[in-house]
Amino acid sequence: MQAAARSLYRQLPGRALGLAILAAAICAAPVIAVAWIALTGETGDYLRHLAGTRLATYLTTSAVVALIAATGAGVIGTGLGWLIARTAFFGRKTLAWVLILPLAVPAYVAAYAWLDLSHAGGPLHAMTGGLFPTIRGSWGSGLMFALVLYPYVYLLARDTFAGQSADAYNAARTLGAGPFTAFWRTSLPMARPAIAAGLALVVMESLADYGTVSHLGAPTLSIGLIRAWSGAGSLVDAARLSLVLVLIAIFIFGLERAQRSRARSVNAAGRHKPAPRHPLHGAVALAALAACLIPLVLGMVIPLGRLAWLALRTETASGLAAASLHSLTLAGSTALIAAGLGLATAYALRSRTAIATLAARAAGLGYAVPGAVAAVGVIALLSGTQALIDPAWRQLTGDVFPILLTGTGAALVFAYLSRFAAAAISPAETALARVTPSLDGAARTLGARRGRRVWRIHWPLIAAGVTSAGLLVFVEVLKELPATMILRPFNYDTLAIIAHNFATDERLGEAALPSLLIPLVALLPMIFVARYLSRQDH
Amino acid sequence: MKSVKFLVLAASATLAACSQPVTDESSDAARVVNVYSARHYASDDAIYAAFTEQTGIAVNVVAAGGDQLIERVRADGERSPADVIITVDAARLHRAEQAGLFAETDFSDLTSTVPANLIDPQGYWVSMAKRARVIAYSNTRVQPGEIETYEDLADPRWRGRICVRESGNAYNQSLLASIVARSGEEAAQAWAQGIVDNMARAPQGGDITQIQGIAAGECDVAIVNHYYYALMVNSDEPARQAAAAAVTLFFPNQETSGAHINVSGAGIAANAPHPDEARALIDFFFTDEAQRMFAELSNEIPVNADASWDNPTLDAMLPFVEDSRNVSELGDHNETAQRIFDRVGWQ
Repeated sequence: MQAAARSLYRQLPGRALGLAILAAAICAAPVIAVAWIALTGETGDYLRHLAGTRLATYLTTSAVVALIAATGAGVIGTGLGWLIARTAFFGRKTLAWVLILPLAVPAYVAAYAWLDLSHAGGPLHAMTGGLFPTIRGSWGSGLMFALVLYPYVYLLARDTFAGQSADAYNAARTLGAGPFTAFWRTSLPMARPAIAAGLALVVMESLADYGTVSHLGAPTLSIGLIRAWSGAGSLVDAARLSLVLVLIAIFIFGLERAQRSRARSVNAAGRHKPAPRHPLHGAVALAALAACLIPLVLGMVIPLGRLAWLALRTETASGLAAASLHSLTLAGSTALIAAGLGLATAYALRSRTAIATLAARAAGLGYAVPGAVAAVGVIALLSGTQALIDPAWRQLTGDVFPILLTGTGAALVFAYLSRFAAAAISPAETALARVTPSLDGAARTLGARRGRRVWRIHWPLIAAGVTSAGLLVFVEVLKELPATMILRPFNYDTLAIIAHNFATDERLGEAALPSLLIPLVALLPMIFVARYLSRQDH
Repeated sequence: MKSVKFLVLAASATLAACSQPVTDESSDAARVVNVYSARHYASDDAIYAAFTEQTGIAVNVVAAGGDQLIERVRADGERSPADVIITVDAARLHRAEQAGLFAETDFSDLTSTVPANLIDPQGYWVSMAKRARVIAYSNTRVQPGEIETYEDLADPRWRGRICVRESGNAYNQSLLASIVARSGEEAAQAWAQGIVDNMARAPQGGDITQIQGIAAGECDVAIVNHYYYALMVNSDEPARQAAAAAVTLFFPNQETSGAHINVSGAGIAANAPHPDEARALIDFFFTDEAQRMFAELSNEIPVNADASWDNPTLDAMLPFVEDSRNVSELGDHNETAQRIFDRVGWQ
């Protein structure tokens, strides 16, 4: 039986492996280009200067920010994921998808609004007579990341909790454990790989962020590398510093993998009936509702409310309809491709061949590099390719190869994929882990052909995970700034760009409406997905 | 696998539909100019619209950070569609020049309009609008005359009283670069150290945040760009107006070197496919019409002193004595300034 299943996997991932390698190439190529810039560039004394001055600060600040972000997002995401998946209370169904929405709020937008509210002279500061602390520095940045990035953990944890069988939990309860102990001893350990996957994304994104930490005054490593670039004018040194981030990413993904392999196959679904939800009543139900509402209020309602309040008093910026369309187009196409590549990679990984594993790891690298640097990698790569074509093209036409690769929507989607495809792989992998070899074996025994097996047996089990994966990439692209700025075609604004341009000038009033539109635009596909997923339940 | 295939197919179809051609080289009749700009102000859209209306030349724009634009033009090399490169901050202009992005241009016919210190000596770029980095102080806790120069702010009597943003900000870098140019690296470092010692709080937020810090009593003086103050004065928001009303905007070094100014500048790209249109656009920046828009829509100080505009908030700040050193020197000292910031721990 085991051997039969193994041989099945050998043939299944043929095409998937090809796509996985493509995904890895797309994701890793810009990083490799950055590494090339770092390793072949001239060596000045800037890094020595940095080591003697601020490098230690950059590293410790990065660590503190990432730690606060991970702790916050871990607690919020896991707690809410369990509440939504395992209990029943008034409003749960709506909250199940509303809780994802803070992800659509760019962390820098939340930071602009919170600093505006809480700085000396801001309304919160004034109302509390200066008692309300100013949201700033490392802890302020970590808090912002936790509040808007917790949905990564929430989404993955929720799906895992929902798919868990009731057996272990019930056994623990039968042995006299309270609901919390049973959760802590059985449900939580089984969900650990999913939580770790979410946390890895939270940490990576916090480390690669520039806008939030620069506005709130938390000098992380990504501030350091942008300064190396803009202050010392050394792209080479910036590239070298970003290699440090890549190494950190490799380390973090390594930790996440270790989690995953230790806990392999405990998430099997389909063998057992999922546990029924615990109905909550009275004060407990209210407390659950409050627990869900607090991060929503802090991460979304208050910052966006502040912006809405400002937007109402300010003349609206023009060009928002076109920018919304641009944002939707870019995010939609990238999300579809990324979900496809993520799923293909997850399938390829089932073969457990070395090359598939290597491809999946390589795809994760892009996520570690700040957008601005990834964009430089994309530019270096595409213009390098153009230069390679030049000699032949010149023979044919007498001119250089036209500028087809850089400066088009395709270059942008390439950059997005390289940054965010990792966000699609982990959820797809987690989802696919629920499809056990025995399921496939059974289907095969019953004569189901491969396509039919995938469609009728795999897809219903993995649909939630895969669409979540696409959704994650979708909102990432909606929020993305630096790569969009540098790579976009002429006259091509997105909502994030308009919002950022006004916000950097501290024109929060004008920045407000485009900032609000980002989550609103994200809302449309989210509602669709949420409805689709709840249909799947029946 | 069917689903995967479908996803990929659908995605590539969408992608193909949304990729647009970069420029319309195909039609000779339509004249265009491609602008790579680090500016993103409402004034620019208005200026481009007016330019297109008057000349029939369409304007294509990519706007991004100065360093990013430089990298993109440099990587595209001779195939770059860029005609005009615009950045804010003289140091970025300098860097673009060093990267060989600009074509040497004869701007001599502009010298009647633009002061010589605002034109690159090598003729690679020319400034079209100015911004001053000045001092805001509390109306109640600081007496007029207590501060005269930037240098005064490093004095220990301002300990715990200064608000200023982080040193990654280009305007702080250029201010320090101007002090390096004027007094040398050692004196500039002593000054920066003095400011760090005198900070009321760790740097946070932008220039408006600093002015609000004064109004809230967290600090007594701040270093800010003049147009942020103008934004607050003209704001729809009462709290911002009130904060602006609580401070005085002061132009320092009037008896000595003059107030520090930085510029927005433009040059013609080395490989510009449309050099004539590029020159036409740059010339248009110095017309009364465009200069008025810089003053009225983004509160910048026009370089053409003869232009007329309607902006009482800006007029209230003018005239003042400005640093007459050529702004290209700010670029020469930018890296030194950055290293000083690192050494003194100006966050």
